[in-house]
Amino acid sequence: MLLALDTSTDWASVALFDGRDVLGEETWRAQRRQGDELFPAIERILLSTRTALSAVTRVAVATGPGSFTGLRVAIAAGQGIARGSGSDLVGISTLDVLAYPHAPSKMRTCPLLPAGRDQYYAAFYQERNRKWMRRSPFMVATLAEICRQIGTHTLFVGEIDADAELMLRDLLGPKALFASPASRMRRAGYLAELGWKELESSPQVKMSEIEPLYVRQPSIRVSFDQPFAPPPADARALGLPKRD
Amino acid sequence: MRILAIETSCDETGVAIVEDGRRIRSNIVASQLVHQDTGGIVPEVAAREHLRALDALTEKALRDAGRQLSEIDAIAATVGPGLIGCLLVGANYARGLALAAGLPFVGVNHLEGHVYANWLYELEGGEPPSNPPPEPELPAIVLVVSGAHSDLVLMEAHRRFRPLGRTIDDAAGEAFDKVARLLHLGFPGGPIIERIAKEGDPNAFPLPRAA
Ligand SMILES: [Zn+2]
Repeated sequence: MLLALDTSTDWASVALFDGRDVLGEETWRAQRRQGDELFPAIERILLSTRTALSAVTRVAVATGPGSFTGLRVAIAAGQGIARGSGSDLVGISTLDVLAYPHAPSKMRTCPLLPAGRDQYYAAFYQERNRKWMRRSPFMVATLAEICRQIGTHTLFVGEIDADAELMLRDLLGPKALFASPASRMRRAGYLAELGWKELESSPQVKMSEIEPLYVRQPSIRVSFDQPFAPPPADARALGLPKRD
Repeated sequence: MRILAIETSCDETGVAIVEDGRRIRSNIVASQLVHQDTGGIVPEVAAREHLRALDALTEKALRDAGRQLSEIDAIAATVGPGLIGCLLVGANYARGLALAAGLPFVGVNHLEGHVYANWLYELEGGEPPSNPPPEPELPAIVLVVSGAHSDLVLMEAHRRFRPLGRTIDDAAGEAFDKVARLLHLGFPGGPIIERIAKEGDPNAFPLPRAA
């Protein structure tokens, strides 16, 4: 049994998968307190599917890119569960999870997740030699910068609000296509499928190596020489200086 | 009663196994050296380091104590106050561990953790000491002085505290760090200033004294 955990953004999702079927899934909009909401959701899934945690032998977590603090909630929880239950742990990119259900469309697909400051996390996916694959590095950029790399019809999925949709239509005209609201959401059932496949084909890596994809700021920003992306807004929590 | 406890509220990742509330069976602390370059703690960097270190430290704490997870009775973690992104790493790891191992999870206040350090003692040569130090008597007045806190608290009974007073600006530890930064002494400021102060001239400046 595989337990899938995703707290990459405000949207969080948990699923239980037996290798063939998704047995249970819960997807919700977290109120900035995923730490408090994740475990009750896990317990509900286990209860509603009458599954004991001891039946879980695999854990999959979404590794972003996304909210760094949010990502660490599911990854830390997944590490703890894997350590406590002796399960294998696997990390899957959140953008891979978003694009995956659209593979049968054979369309060039671009998942988007808000990265703050008018920027988005993005990547391009397409079928090549009958294999669905990511065709770009993970990016963090404005919609205009992302669209500059788009020449063909592209299906946008992920967290795209009305303003972003309008902007993409402005920038790309008829080349911008949008998945329906429900089908562009992120669901842990897909994370579970990808995690299961990954663990079938490659051995477990060291648990501490599973961490968020810390996508750097693009080099056009002055801060690009930082070893890490800028700290989040809680920098002043201890009254200590921000790195700038 | 044997508890595995996890602390990630600031820039040190700590995992300990303590018996009967007092006897330290293992205590592993990883200090994050990455902050020395910045002269202060960057919360995002600290949280990243916690996540990288925590699982291996937990494994080591169990190994040092010569225990399996199945021989632990509860999992505890600091839940605040502290750097929220850092706390979330320790608390969620601990809750996952507790859920998977079928153990109770205990969320602990950071300052309570400082207070209860006074109850702890170490083993001597791997064995409990023949006469362990006596427990502090209650009620007690507690002064909590740390990197982020300067608090005076009345401890009436176990886990029953009444705040008496606290700093209205910087905590003692922050004052050390800020002075060290102004004087370009490095980070963290406490140990550096303490070392240099020993070679100082106590009469160089006339300072006011409380009568
Ligand atoms: Zn402290």
